Amino acid sequence: MRETIRLHWTDEALLDGLASGSDAALNQLYQRYFPMTLHLILSNNGSEDDAKDIFQEALVVLYERAQDETFALSAQLKTYLYSVCRRLWLKQLSRRGRFGSLAADELNESDELLSTDEDLTEHERRNEQFDLMAASLAKLGEPCRTLLEDFYIRQLSMQDITEKFGYTNTDNAKTQKYKCLMRLKRLFFSDYQE
Amino acid sequence: MNEEKQITDALEQYGRRLVFKERLARAQASIDMDSMRQRAQMLATDAEPPVKRIGRVRELWQTYRSTFAVAAAVAIVTTFSTLFLVRYYRNTTQQQEQYSMLRRDVQAIKQSQNRILDGLSVRRKSLITVNPGQIAGTSFLLNSDGYLVTNNHIVQGADSVYVQSQSGDVYKARVVYADKGYDLAILSVRDDSTFRPGQVVPYGFDPRPSDLGERVFTLGFPRDEIVYGEGYVSSGTGYRNDSSAYQVAISVNPGNSGGPLLDGSGNVIGIISGKQVSSEGASFAIKTDFLYRAISAIPNDSLKGQPLKLSRRSALSRLPRTQQIKRVQQNVYMVKVFKHKE
Repeated sequence: MRETIRLHWTDEALLDGLASGSDAALNQLYQRYFPMTLHLILSNNGSEDDAKDIFQEALVVLYERAQDETFALSAQLKTYLYSVCRRLWLKQLSRRGRFGSLAADELNESDELLSTDEDLTEHERRNEQFDLMAASLAKLGEPCRTLLEDFYIRQLSMQDITEKFGYTNTDNAKTQKYKCLMRLKRLFFSDYQE
Repeated sequence: MNEEKQITDALEQYGRRLVFKERLARAQASIDMDSMRQRAQMLATDAEPPVKRIGRVRELWQTYRSTFAVAAAVAIVTTFSTLFLVRYYRNTTQQQEQYSMLRRDVQAIKQSQNRILDGLSVRRKSLITVNPGQIAGTSFLLNSDGYLVTNNHIVQGADSVYVQSQSGDVYKARVVYADKGYDLAILSVRDDSTFRPGQVVPYGFDPRPSDLGERVFTLGFPRDEIVYGEGYVSSGTGYRNDSSAYQVAISVNPGNSGGPLLDGSGNVIGIISGKQVSSEGASFAIKTDFLYRAISAIPNDSLKGQPLKLSRRSALSRLPRTQQIKRVQQNVYMVKVFKHKE
């Protein structure tokens, strides 16, 4: 992927870059907003690793929201990220049985905290689905799992898959893929409906 | 087939997240943690110490301090200007309209002055022509040593003060003592070489409070001729419940100020000082008791060592009114005050 070197990123550019998978945008996000998160977590009973985890999760939230084309920031990116991190860390703290309030909780500018409840509820749902998918794929077993991952995630062509798995032709491979998908569907929805 | 779409979507989403997490891991691995720590540290020092967060009130104060200041200033200015205006209004409008000091502005009646001048001796004539009097009032002798009493508002701000007897003799007077609070002034004519200590004053000074209904009379100079007035004590307090004065139902006019208020047996019970304009027949006289107080407050230096003594006994008690008046009027003087025009 070609990257132009940008000295100044606007919030929109960062968001677009994130959605389209630009590593420069990702690095920029780390450069800009990770210290803020690190400070938040460190001054509230957290470690550096906690900070990394929280920031990652916040970026995942942001990434998945950015996939949605109707998504538009209602505040500065910084405020959004801070609000999400803060919320995630509060949840983490309460999970660990600590106080649900932050001792040092200041936003440097007079920005107000955003209500991120909606985004985070959606995020929870996706998390569940993600875990379920991982579990379903694990149950699916080989070679179905690799076949589906190759096609849907690594986005190999049917031709490549035919060769890799030693099928006689692509139709054969397609049939195999379809059967695997149906099994996955059963596994996934049997748990998902519960 | 809906489920098939769902499963492929879920699978793709799962894939995207996996890929993204890998990228995140790479990005995270590439960050320089030392510089991150430093910058986080800087945030910590930049940020306000947590203690400050406690004071929500203080925060508000910091933000709205200037607004508070302006509001407070406006409130203060409004309050004080209102108070000032109210007081000013009371002092000027009401008091000056209601309470009239009975001094006489001589300037207004120059023509009649000219008539007096014709009757004066040459010496007196020259005095008056040099210094046209501006304010006139009444005063009366306290004792035979040449001390007189009048109202402070007559001699206030005077350049020179002259007293003129009923027979036309003019003496230069010195203000020995002025009591602004009780509106009393003690004059002395002892310095005037032409003054001869005369007979003992016939009236006495009675400091005891007089009863309501006590018949009283006064002598004064509302014009250039001495004028007699008669009435009764109508209240034990003066204007606005001023306990240092009586209210007297007596007819007085500008020029009567400083005149003696005598009772039937010839005791001075007060000094005429003013009247209420808005109501008929309400004049005021300062109680003799406060004359005693004023005299006792005079510094010894002003009296040149000799105490100022007042007679408490009246020599007039048995006399009929006309005789009383005759005896008293010799001791009542017109006060003429000269001052620079303001």
